Amino acid sequence: MSYLTRLAKHMVAQLLERDELEAVMGDLTEMRATPWRSSIEILGLIVRRQAAHWSHGFPWVAAFGLALPGTLLLQGTSYSISCRYQGLTGAGICNGWSPAGSGQLAQLPCLAVLLVLTSWSLGFLTSFISRRTLWASAILVAAPCLYCQAKFHEAAVSRLCLLLFLPLMAAGACQGLRGTRIRPATAIALTAVSTVLTLICNRM
Amino acid sequence: MPTEAAALLGEFEYLLITAAAALNDNAYGVSIREEIESTTRRRCSIGALYTTIDRLEKKGLVTTWMSDATPERGGRSKRMVRVTPKGVQAAKAFFDAMMRASRRAPWVTA
Repeated sequence: MSYLTRLAKHMVAQLLERDELEAVMGDLTEMRATPWRSSIEILGLIVRRQAAHWSHGFPWVAAFGLALPGTLLLQGTSYSISCRYQGLTGAGICNGWSPAGSGQLAQLPCLAVLLVLTSWSLGFLTSFISRRTLWASAILVAAPCLYCQAKFHEAAVSRLCLLLFLPLMAAGACQGLRGTRIRPATAIALTAVSTVLTLICNRM
Repeated sequence: MPTEAAALLGEFEYLLITAAAALNDNAYGVSIREEIESTTRRRCSIGALYTTIDRLEKKGLVTTWMSDATPERGGRSKRMVRVTPKGVQAAKAFFDAMMRASRRAPWVTA
């Protein structure tokens, strides 16, 4: 089996329920459908399923309410952390930044923890509330990242510094896909810590 | 206005319930599709079939379950369909409504 066929099967398996895929593949085998006809039939089913998913609010909230604005915000935070780190280590100063002071030293761990918490939570929530349309949220994460990578011009830091949040967001999304449940106490603790850290970072 | 109007089935939903009811214990994807295609002489896609089955199941008009795997299907299971009493009632309401609506139509009276 070629890599592309395996990839196509994996993608189809992500978009359809396991039982449904089993029944449809069985039907197509029984009908002796050609590979081309089978592909068209499965694609038709996927399109109809996706249309049904998008008729609800969750995919829109996940894609346009969480993934897109979250990515823009977290890219900014990633950049901010990188510039502070560079300033503190003396490796360089980003455009528009002043040389490192004591305030920045305290802000760096605060921002780093905030980035970890927010990235993971955003990835988790996006995939948890809309598992079947995660591909759309992924596109809305990838698009601004690629745009900023193309437009980024900063001598002091690498353009990859904008993507610091991405592995954490992906880890959160994986947890959400697995259907992991967060206890209310944990969720409240996460929210409280994030809020306190945001307030502390803003006051410094 | 009669209350049945609010729960009136769609045309394809009615065709699917009628086919599943006629096939009885042998109602599953391929057999329902063949029944619909032979009676309407129109193509029925797998996408339309399975999304409609899901919709009907959510409304409580049919129930579905996975059967055992069979060799002619490459060892894969069938999704069996059974019409519920509520489904029979909805199909009957649709049929009655169509009959009433068609009573004075020229192609009926001619």
